Amino acid sequence: MKDFLLIIKTEGSVWSDLSPEQLQKHMEHGTAYIGNLMKEGKLKNANPVDKGSRIVTESNGLIKDGPFNETKEVVAGYFLVTAKDIDEAVGIAKTNPIFKDIPTKIEVHPMMDIGG
Amino acid sequence: MVAVLTRIFGSENLDLAEDVVQDSLIEAIKLWTYKGVPNNPSAWLFKVAKNKVLNIVNREKYKRQYSSDVAHFLQSEWTVESALNHLFSEQEILDDQLRMMFTCCHPSISADSQVALTLKTLCGFSIQEISKAFLTTEQNINKRLVRARKKIREEKIPFEVPNGNDLEKRLQTVLETIYLLFNEGYSASTGENLIRLEICKEAIRLTEIIILHPSFQNKSEVFALLSLMQLNASRFKARQDDKGNILTLDKQNRLQWDYSLMEIGFKNLEKSTGNLISIYHILATISAYHCSATNYSATDWQSILSLYDKLVQIDNSPIVLLNRSIALSKVNGSKKAIEELKTIEENPAIKLNHLFYSTKSEFQIELNQFKEAATTLEKAIYLAPMKSEKILLQEKLLYCREKII
Repeated sequence: MKDFLLIIKTEGSVWSDLSPEQLQKHMEHGTAYIGNLMKEGKLKNANPVDKGSRIVTESNGLIKDGPFNETKEVVAGYFLVTAKDIDEAVGIAKTNPIFKDIPTKIEVHPMMDIGG
Repeated sequence: MVAVLTRIFGSENLDLAEDVVQDSLIEAIKLWTYKGVPNNPSAWLFKVAKNKVLNIVNREKYKRQYSSDVAHFLQSEWTVESALNHLFSEQEILDDQLRMMFTCCHPSISADSQVALTLKTLCGFSIQEISKAFLTTEQNINKRLVRARKKIREEKIPFEVPNGNDLEKRLQTVLETIYLLFNEGYSASTGENLIRLEICKEAIRLTEIIILHPSFQNKSEVFALLSLMQLNASRFKARQDDKGNILTLDKQNRLQWDYSLMEIGFKNLEKSTGNLISIYHILATISAYHCSATNYSATDWQSILSLYDKLVQIDNSPIVLLNRSIALSKVNGSKKAIEELKTIEENPAIKLNHLFYSTKSEFQIELNQFKEAATTLEKAIYLAPMKSEKILLQEKLLYCREKII
């Protein structure tokens, strides 16, 4: 088994772009999806990203921070899952119900094992 | 409910879990007195408890350490809802109760604390009820509980069902505690009879959780214990008359026996066949012989005696030998039985046990040795811990004295 970091990037936000009814449905689907992963023991952690992200960059030896300027695409949150291989992890990402509600991209990153 | 919350907070926070349950109950009682009891009180209680858990986990996010593997799910907006649904689902509740059994019955906790802790956390008895059932003070029970919780914290006893080779060994301890629990409920009979019956039922319920759980491969011993408890419990109500006095097996109204429970007990005894014959197997079979006799004189003492012979091979403690002597007297006569009793007479534990003297006096009465029987009965009365037992013995003593004159 291996751990994978799933980064959820969306265009816009479910909070502002969905009607209350749609949001309610969205939450129900999400809860069921997460509940299943949990039951199967595949979910290690999952967290949404709050407002107010900042980004720290370096230019000409100067480390600066500023607002996270992604006008279109925002990081909505992450999942840390355990899967047999990358294909299974991708499968988990594909079944995320968020795709039905809002334009979404999910990055699937394999985590390096200790000593690997 | 304490079991579920301990899963969430970790066994080191057992006291926190108990507090939350306590708080939820208080809140429930307050509200229910005004608004009446809701249709589904247990679901309501769980809901209150869920909210309290959420508050605590979030308020003390950075203060408290939770050893459990699930607490962090409650700290994330995305997972909290699913986690709560999952944790409070029926299967999980059963699993948590099983985990709790193994935590409460950890070998490093003393036997009397194991029983008290199991009754408190798994069966929901109050300290007051436990102390009444055990005929001891509330402070005493409280001390046992405090000691046990401290032990869990200090030894970092995990909240889990052990796996591999450990499982079989640890299951033994759990079964022993359950049997002890049952005996505490079953053996004596003064005062809080209701609580005692509840304790017996709880012992049976806990055993059923083990039976239903897929973790265990070889359950023959568990089935035997379950059968033993069910067969004995089916006679529970017939053991007392209206005034609360004890009725011995020969005087019980067998129509008062709970035959449906007995039936289940017999079925579980059938299911208990396996490679290994445990003490529970033998005791259950002995109980089955008593249950299947339509009246006292129809009891198959020959078979019971041979079962006791087998039991002595596994456990030749004086108490087993004492019980065997009763079967022996029915088969080979009381004279033989009294001779047998001489082998254990000097044992220090037996010397202070009223059952030894009351049994011996039975044999003496049988042999018309009323004078000797009276002396033996006096000792038994002196040693008997329960009032109802003393009354029973006193009646016998009167009978003997009449015979002497």
